[in-house]
Amino acid sequence: MKTAGHTTRDRWISLGVLAAIALFWQALSILFPVEAAPGEPMIAGWQVMFSKTLLSMADYWQGGLGVPSVSEGAPRTYLAAILSLLSHSFDTIVRLVCGLALGGVAGLALGLAVSWSAWSRRLVDLPVQFLRTLPLLAMVPLFQLWFGTYFIGKVLFVAYGIGVIVFAGTVNAVRNVPQIYIDNARSLGASKATMYRTVILPAILPEMRSTLLLSLGTGWGAVLGAEYLGAQSGLGYIIVYAGQFAYLDRMSLVAIIFIIATSISYRAAGALTARMLEWAPESQRA
Amino acid sequence: MAEAAKSSATNWDAADRRPPSAAAVRSNEKATPRANGRLTLSLRSGIRAVDPLRFLGLIIFVLAWYALSFLFQPIILPPPAAVLVRLLADFWDAPNLSYYGVAEPNLYANLIYTAENVAIAVLIGAAIGIVCGLVSARVSIFRAIVDPIMTTAGTVPILVAAPFLLIWFGVGRESAVGLVIFYVTVIMYLFAQKAASNLNPIYEEFARTLGAGQRQIVVDLLLPATVPEILGGLRIALAGAWGLEAVSELLGSQEGMGKVLEVLAGATDPEGIMATLLLLGFVAISVDAALAWIVARFAGWNAGLHSGGSRT
Amino acid sequence: MNPPSNRMIELVHVQRDFRRADGQRVQAVVDVSFVIPEGQFVCLVGPSGCGKSTLLQMLAGLLPPSSGGIVVDGKEVSGPGPERGVVFQKDSVFPWMRVIDNVEYGLKCRRVPPAERREIARSYLRQVGLSHVERAWPRELSGGMLKRVAIATVFANGGRVLMLDEPFSALDYVTRRQLQDVLLNLWSADKSGVRKTVLFVTHDVDEALALADRILVFRSGCQVDDIPVEKARPRSADSLLEPDMIAIKRKLLHHIGLDRPALPDAEAAA
Repeated sequence: MKTAGHTTRDRWISLGVLAAIALFWQALSILFPVEAAPGEPMIAGWQVMFSKTLLSMADYWQGGLGVPSVSEGAPRTYLAAILSLLSHSFDTIVRLVCGLALGGVAGLALGLAVSWSAWSRRLVDLPVQFLRTLPLLAMVPLFQLWFGTYFIGKVLFVAYGIGVIVFAGTVNAVRNVPQIYIDNARSLGASKATMYRTVILPAILPEMRSTLLLSLGTGWGAVLGAEYLGAQSGLGYIIVYAGQFAYLDRMSLVAIIFIIATSISYRAAGALTARMLEWAPESQRA
Repeated sequence: MAEAAKSSATNWDAADRRPPSAAAVRSNEKATPRANGRLTLSLRSGIRAVDPLRFLGLIIFVLAWYALSFLFQPIILPPPAAVLVRLLADFWDAPNLSYYGVAEPNLYANLIYTAENVAIAVLIGAAIGIVCGLVSARVSIFRAIVDPIMTTAGTVPILVAAPFLLIWFGVGRESAVGLVIFYVTVIMYLFAQKAASNLNPIYEEFARTLGAGQRQIVVDLLLPATVPEILGGLRIALAGAWGLEAVSELLGSQEGMGKVLEVLAGATDPEGIMATLLLLGFVAISVDAALAWIVARFAGWNAGLHSGGSRT
Repeated sequence: MNPPSNRMIELVHVQRDFRRADGQRVQAVVDVSFVIPEGQFVCLVGPSGCGKSTLLQMLAGLLPPSSGGIVVDGKEVSGPGPERGVVFQKDSVFPWMRVIDNVEYGLKCRRVPPAERREIARSYLRQVGLSHVERAWPRELSGGMLKRVAIATVFANGGRVLMLDEPFSALDYVTRRQLQDVLLNLWSADKSGVRKTVLFVTHDVDEALALADRILVFRSGCQVDDIPVEKARPRSADSLLEPDMIAIKRKLLHHIGLDRPALPDAEAAA
């Protein structure tokens, strides 16, 4: 099919679209000065976002580092606001990274182990398929019941969600390794273990990269869901807590920060893993 | 069976590891007469398709669960039998649910509510997403405008919009359905666009040399050829839709599976939670299996036709 | 040193069945027996689907026979191994390793020290004319170059038997002819004394005539002929046109079925 190509003209149009959305938002805020609650506009214009809303972030700072907490009577300051945003972002990101690491490593290791023999692969196939189809986000209450709503509970939830995806992805990737590479390695004299290390592992890298990017998206969703449903800190916590008071402007600000964070993480992950695939033909480096 | 042939261990047991070429098959077909008729043949291959080892794996899983339930108190890990009994009991009538303010005190009605929402959202979202995706693959200006929005939305968990929808649309059907529509639209857009882009240009060129016009190319070539990949994306979208719907209901709703989960969690009832999850999972799996069957039946022709497309 | 073996490769009543998707049994290889002495270059020729590739897979140890025995160099074949090198039809060069690492791979598996294996690999790359792409990635090479890498890899690995499964069939005519020369050069330049025993599967009759000492013809899973080719090498285009070669070619074409009209209507009309 004739495809639309990425030209410089298209890039300018994309930037234009982003600018148009920002302007559209501002126009909406002027046209609809509706308030969800007295003093809380439903659609806050950018001037409000960068002043009042930003300052209000100071409410979420627990205190410390020489900056007093608003809940103890201190005035709202930009410093406290910035600190609070950084600290809550940090909490969310740490939960994600720990869950990603734990789930990713466990999923990969188990996936490789299970793929060693065709028997074990067939044995775990149905239970894993079942766990994969169980809606992840619906399982938050169960994990909260088992592991509580503190750090470890969230990390384990994220790790589970990612672990299942990475496990299934690894098993599938190993299965998709073209038989010819395996035959070739064996004919050249490689033992099964050597073949696993020198052929299977590199061969699955392209597919594992896709799995990684997919699990990144799931991980962010899992962290957010876990924070929505029971947390004392984090970006999701702020959104939901502010939501209870219908502070839409605060929710929007934190949501924007969240969107920026996920986009950056996606690009960073993509760029970092692309280096591992310098040998791969273009089609596999999407 | 072709899957067994691709296993990483050289598979000495697979008698059909390398299927013979068409010519060999043809030449031998004359020698051996066809057996019994089509019905018997399909039955035999159907029986062979059920893999005893996979089945054994499922049994081992349940047994392991059962064994683990001895190590923990029933309040933490109820045994599988208890969960199943609870599921069947609560399906038509669960009086304890009405105590917590659930509109319809049984699993069945709430399941229907959740399923309805998912169905509506998937239909609407898929329609929008597929059309936009296909158009964006053909019209570059449209793509330039819509792509940045969709790709950003694709990386960001749609869940971030949930609290907003709850405030804008209140606690009801609309916010949950809206969330899932958003999700399905983005996924189907990405899949439809990829399917259309991956289509080998050779088909269109050939069609043009045979005299096909623009409209014919869209109807007879673009639409049918992208169906397999789009259906594959639909399966994925559907799988995520269940969870998104459930969590939306968890955040704010008066009915649905999510509401039931919320209520049971508040009552510290792991048996009930697991039963509800089991039911939800079972429904999700059944729908997925049905969709997979449809794909195999109506879109099975496409093995290896796409140029460099990914293996979904 | 051992005297060259008379029975380097020996097949005894080898048979291979397959089960089709609908359950029917198909015999890909039917009761094949032959003996190949060491150092002989043998071509297996036949139309598509005659079982020659299946036979090669069994000889390489990648597929077990349904019945019958395969003995190579006195040992029964039970799996793949470096003594029986294989060049495949599709690209088997590992894309995640540079060319030189690919050629070294077999040696590395057998723990040959780095300096030594690098030298061996370089020498074979030189012999196939690819010294200048030593550090290239496989994705940067053409199909013909990748085949040279595969051939260099197998030769570098040693081994007394070499099997090739329609290795050049996916390449264009000119590249195919060049690679035939590369293969013959490497084969005859073998410094270890006795040349490798080669089994070369092809459906291209001209290719077989250019390369083989002996042609085994297959049809529908059975061996139907065993033709010695006693032309001296190198075989120029002229030597292939001499009467004895033409006679062999005529025989081969008859076996494949190309001396009869392709369309049944034409046959009825004739």
